[in-house]
Amino acid sequence: MLLQASNLTITRPGDSGPVTIVSDASLSLREGTLTDVVGPSGSGKTTLLLALARLLPDVRGELVLQGKPASEWSPQEWRTRVALLPQTSSMVTGSVAANLLLPYTLKIRDHAGPAGMSAAGAATAASHTHAPTADALRAALDQVGLADIALDRTAARLSVGQASRVALLRVLLTAPAVLLLDEPDAALDDESAAQVAAMTAEFVRGGGAVVRVRHLRTDVAADALYRLEAGRLTEVTAR
Amino acid sequence: MNAVTQAVTAGGVVDIGWVQLLLATGFIIVTGAISLALGLGLVRDLSIATVRTYVQLLALGIVLRWAFGFNTWWLVLGLLAVMVLAAARIILKRSPDAPPGLFAISAVSMATTGFIVTFAVTAVVVRIHPWWDARYVLPIGGMVLGNSMTGIALALERVFADLDSRSGEILALTALGATPWEAARGSVITALRAGLIPTINSMAAVGIVFIPGMMTGQILAGADPLAATKYQIVVMLMVSAATAIGSIMAVMLSYRHRFTSDGVFLEKGYRG
Repeated sequence: MLLQASNLTITRPGDSGPVTIVSDASLSLREGTLTDVVGPSGSGKTTLLLALARLLPDVRGELVLQGKPASEWSPQEWRTRVALLPQTSSMVTGSVAANLLLPYTLKIRDHAGPAGMSAAGAATAASHTHAPTADALRAALDQVGLADIALDRTAARLSVGQASRVALLRVLLTAPAVLLLDEPDAALDDESAAQVAAMTAEFVRGGGAVVRVRHLRTDVAADALYRLEAGRLTEVTAR
Repeated sequence: MNAVTQAVTAGGVVDIGWVQLLLATGFIIVTGAISLALGLGLVRDLSIATVRTYVQLLALGIVLRWAFGFNTWWLVLGLLAVMVLAAARIILKRSPDAPPGLFAISAVSMATTGFIVTFAVTAVVVRIHPWWDARYVLPIGGMVLGNSMTGIALALERVFADLDSRSGEILALTALGATPWEAARGSVITALRAGLIPTINSMAAVGIVFIPGMMTGQILAGADPLAATKYQIVVMLMVSAATAIGSIMAVMLSYRHRFTSDGVFLEKGYRG
């Protein structure tokens, strides 16, 4: 098992004591699988993803990645392996290349390691990677239908669909083991949504696990389907 | 000229009578009348501010006269401590969204830089004896702490506002494995620049756009303008340094309070 979440209970402070957002949620992810989590707005889907990426305070329950409990991973190491892509693509000031290389400016990736954008082997190898070369960045952009985007293009001038693909590419290039996608195609045109779906499928084929949060609809590509409603997570289908 | 000369006191300053002091309020009354005519709604604030100016500064004059007469090291240090605590309270009121612990951080930042800079000026540059002489330490300490307070308040207010406005970017950075420092660095830089701009502006404009208050005071008291200039340069540089170091210290000690020990940025709903 790649990632195992057991009995996650997530609360946030409220005016009259803590409010439970998700209670007793359990989820298992195997290598090379795509899991959809559906549910109405406000049911806690984003909150669940944040908890899986260890990006929330006050989460009770157990998280185990590659056989090691969360306590044995530093929070930063965990997040390089269980990578969350927030619903809104945040580009930092600068060029598209600067945004794609942003992960390599962080201390956690100071160490040398194997380079590459495929998730193959990511489940077992460390996520530390060399910064990709300009040629590799160019090839990666071409591959996801962004051939017309120059590397030195100002990121602020990208369309929503382009920015979301650049943001997804930025995460994929770091070769995480698990990818958490928050409504990846909610605001996208059909072409961008198809590209995002193709990039996700490629990552799964390479051995990665994906959790995809969606508003209501799902598609046949998912290997497992969970429903989150009123803070309760239930498995609907598993193949 | 003769009338003026007659009014000069032993200290070299032309004394202002109580009636003349009240006359100075005349322009504020004119401002109040304009505010009423234009419906600016400033009369209440102006009145309160004017009364506070009278009360606070007269109280300061009385306290300083008493402190100069008493002149002991513990009294001087005690008054500086009161000034630090009052300033920390003002900073806290300016940052309503600040995380817990900001009062202590502000007080420690101002006390550390304020005390070091003040005593560096009085003991090393001006070389007074004794080193705690109230006549020098209290006015210089007041200037250093007052300016530090403005810089620290601006920088702290800005750092938390900027972190909140960048919460989406901070989440993206943290999700990529950024440490709190890596995620917050942009806001820290923005805040420190905001805190230091008034100081840098006043250093650039001094002597051209305005004559600083301390120098004006010394010249009015009969000091040689060049001697007053030297004092002003020392004070200006020291005040700028204290503001810069105080702001840096306060921001560096406080930004981390917006993150959990696991490096999670605490958005509004999770601050308790």
